[in-house]
Amino acid sequence: MFGFFKIPQQLKALGILGMNARNYNVISKYNKRRLYPLVDDKVQTKEMAVKNGINTTRKIAIITYQHEVKSLKQLVKDWPEFVIKPAHGSGGKGVLVIKSWKDDAFITASEKILSYTQVYQHISNILSGLYSLGGQYDVALIEEMVHFSDVFQNFSYQGVPDVRMIIYKGYPIMAMMRLATKESGGRANLHQGAVGVGLDVKTGRALTAVLHNKPILRHPDTNADLTKLCVPYWKEHLLIAAKAYEMTGLGYLGADIVLDKDKGPMMLELNARPGLSIQIANSAGLKKVIKKALKNYPAGLSAEARVDFILSQN
Amino acid sequence: MKKFFNVRRVLSIFLLLSIAWTLYAGWYKMTFWGFDLKSDATTDVFMVDAHITFKAHGKPVKVVLSTPHGYSKFKILNEKITAKGYHVKKDENTGRITLSSPNRNGEQNIYYRLMVYDTADSRGKVRQEEKITIQKPIFDDEQMIVVDNIFEQAQNIEGNEVQQLISLFNQTPLDENVQTLLPVKATRKIRAELLIDLLALKNISARLVHGVRLIEGKKAAMADLMLEAYDGYKWRLYDLQTGHEGLPKNFMVFQRGNVSLLDVEGGVNSKIRFSVLKSVTSSFEMAEHRAKLSSTDKFFTSSVYALPLWAQNVLKTLMVFPLGILVVVLMRNVVGVPTMGTFTPMLIAMSLIETGFVPGLICFVLIVAVGLILRRLLATLNLLLVPRIASVVIFVILIIQVLAVIGYHDNIDVAMSALFFPIIITAWIIERLSIIYEEEGFKNAMTESFYTLLTAIATYFVIKSDTVRHITFAFNEINLVILFLVMLLGTYTGYRLTELKRFYPLLKRK
Repeated sequence: MFGFFKIPQQLKALGILGMNARNYNVISKYNKRRLYPLVDDKVQTKEMAVKNGINTTRKIAIITYQHEVKSLKQLVKDWPEFVIKPAHGSGGKGVLVIKSWKDDAFITASEKILSYTQVYQHISNILSGLYSLGGQYDVALIEEMVHFSDVFQNFSYQGVPDVRMIIYKGYPIMAMMRLATKESGGRANLHQGAVGVGLDVKTGRALTAVLHNKPILRHPDTNADLTKLCVPYWKEHLLIAAKAYEMTGLGYLGADIVLDKDKGPMMLELNARPGLSIQIANSAGLKKVIKKALKNYPAGLSAEARVDFILSQN
Repeated sequence: MKKFFNVRRVLSIFLLLSIAWTLYAGWYKMTFWGFDLKSDATTDVFMVDAHITFKAHGKPVKVVLSTPHGYSKFKILNEKITAKGYHVKKDENTGRITLSSPNRNGEQNIYYRLMVYDTADSRGKVRQEEKITIQKPIFDDEQMIVVDNIFEQAQNIEGNEVQQLISLFNQTPLDENVQTLLPVKATRKIRAELLIDLLALKNISARLVHGVRLIEGKKAAMADLMLEAYDGYKWRLYDLQTGHEGLPKNFMVFQRGNVSLLDVEGGVNSKIRFSVLKSVTSSFEMAEHRAKLSSTDKFFTSSVYALPLWAQNVLKTLMVFPLGILVVVLMRNVVGVPTMGTFTPMLIAMSLIETGFVPGLICFVLIVAVGLILRRLLATLNLLLVPRIASVVIFVILIIQVLAVIGYHDNIDVAMSALFFPIIITAWIIERLSIIYEEEGFKNAMTESFYTLLTAIATYFVIKSDTVRHITFAFNEINLVILFLVMLLGTYTGYRLTELKRFYPLLKRK
């Protein structure tokens, strides 16, 4: 019972970053508010990524007005597969992945068949702000679907496995891979029941894995050995993350990166307020790493030099 | 080196300053305006009626009445004299009222009404006067023997000379010697005058004090008397029954010294009778009068307490908000529970105060449940967001209407309390719940509603107490303290309570 009062101290000793400390000491210090729209609006992020030579999923179309929704079939007529997402959405809300479609039947990634009306409705909801922060009007972004690398074939139950990286002053300091499960419904949020695998930021190898805050060794649905997980093209992943700093000017950000089997690592989206679950997946504290980076990591290096610096750390 | 004036330090200084200011202002309001920490503190207000009667017979009449001014510092709420056809003049220094009228005839009635409060401790000192010359009474030899007997007997009684004699005069049955010196039908006044004569023989100056004991329900009674004796340095007051020294808390002096209580020229058979009626008023309502009396009314008129009552009532509701906000801030940033909307819990809590806890809660859950069912039906229509929420708002209004009608007809409080819930907030709760339910499942929807209600209930219990609502209004400076407290919480970077549970597994693994 009295051990309870020691928990804060012990967590502090581990360098665990709490929500209040993240907001007050990190985000408000390193992230200027005027820069937020760059990452909150996925359309802007995508345009910037293209401009900065960062590999990202290709934009098919943007639907801004309600009357444009009915031209959906026309817009995607050359695309047998595509993804619809709200430009201001967060946490994977409102993302609709269409694997194939014909006439009135749209088949989603989770093998659900939607009618045209249902898809139409979904886009209408996006436009009216159902999935955006604060409920303001939004636009629907239609982009190409990622064919995630076969390396992850058995590691994820449906959904797209992605790498979440935390970038502090341009240095990738912590990484994890998020794997969808049956329970998470194809989504990659840990609190919805996805598996989080902490990755060694130097090598992209699995360190630890958690499901609902508890350590696990195998994927609950596919039974894949999670300790064997190793992300290929790791340096490219790091480079995308590092470049996001120059691109946005945000001192503390999260980058979601997916590995396409043909096109390599691609930036999916950025986040100016990345969550704290990554600490649980890595069994390590962010505060500790930030402190180390603040003290030892040199400023003024190029993105490539920063990645080399990270790789040279021991 | 760290900056000396960092945000936290500046805010802490402001917090301390605001606490100091609140304490000072609290003391000020309690002292000068009679504010109390208790919401139901009351003040006794006494209505003292003096009824003067006499018979006039065609000559000019002049009546002089002594009033409490200058003698006792009872706080006077208002003073009124009713005397038809008389010219009234008041001497502000002595407090004596002079009524005059030419050529009066027949029975005359004059009413003097005084409303006073605060009988206790606030009267200050009675103005001291010079000793009066002693007029020794003339007793024959026989009487002198009796007097000597009285003095001898008195010596054996406790107290000073004055108190000894008073005790002797109050023995039952009455001391024989005293009886001898008194006429057959001796009034209290005649007895008191004999006492003064006897004291004169001992070279002690003494005189009568007229006044009124503020005892509830006193009707047409004669003026109450006290004895005042000069002890060589100053005048001391004695109770004529008990011999206790000092001015009793409930005694209001009308007259003392060498003036009379009532002088009537041009009339005969004058009498003055007193009636006392007690009423109880909320201390709060007396504040303005107190402010005037303590000459702090300049501040009072520019305070919220000088606003019209309806405006004060609105402010009273507003002033409790900061406390509710503080609870929400604590629940979210220190405890760390997720709630639907930032201040939704507080608005629910405010409604619960109007409705009562249990009926309000049942009713609220009922409204949301019915709303959710209707919202599910609505989902099949595939409406756009704004019209959909608009429909939910109208649903809520209709549900409230139906509940109110049912509640009124069948006399069910639970249903009637529907009237007090904020419509838009309730509609948004329904909309949000149904979306969480659709997207994240029943469990998540339940968790979030549970935490929202939990926060609402916590807020409710903090702000429901009358005392708390009274204090946040009467001592509204406390809201400044809350402000700086909330701002300081804005710099709190420690773990939230729920994070301890969230990150606890990390400790086990190491």
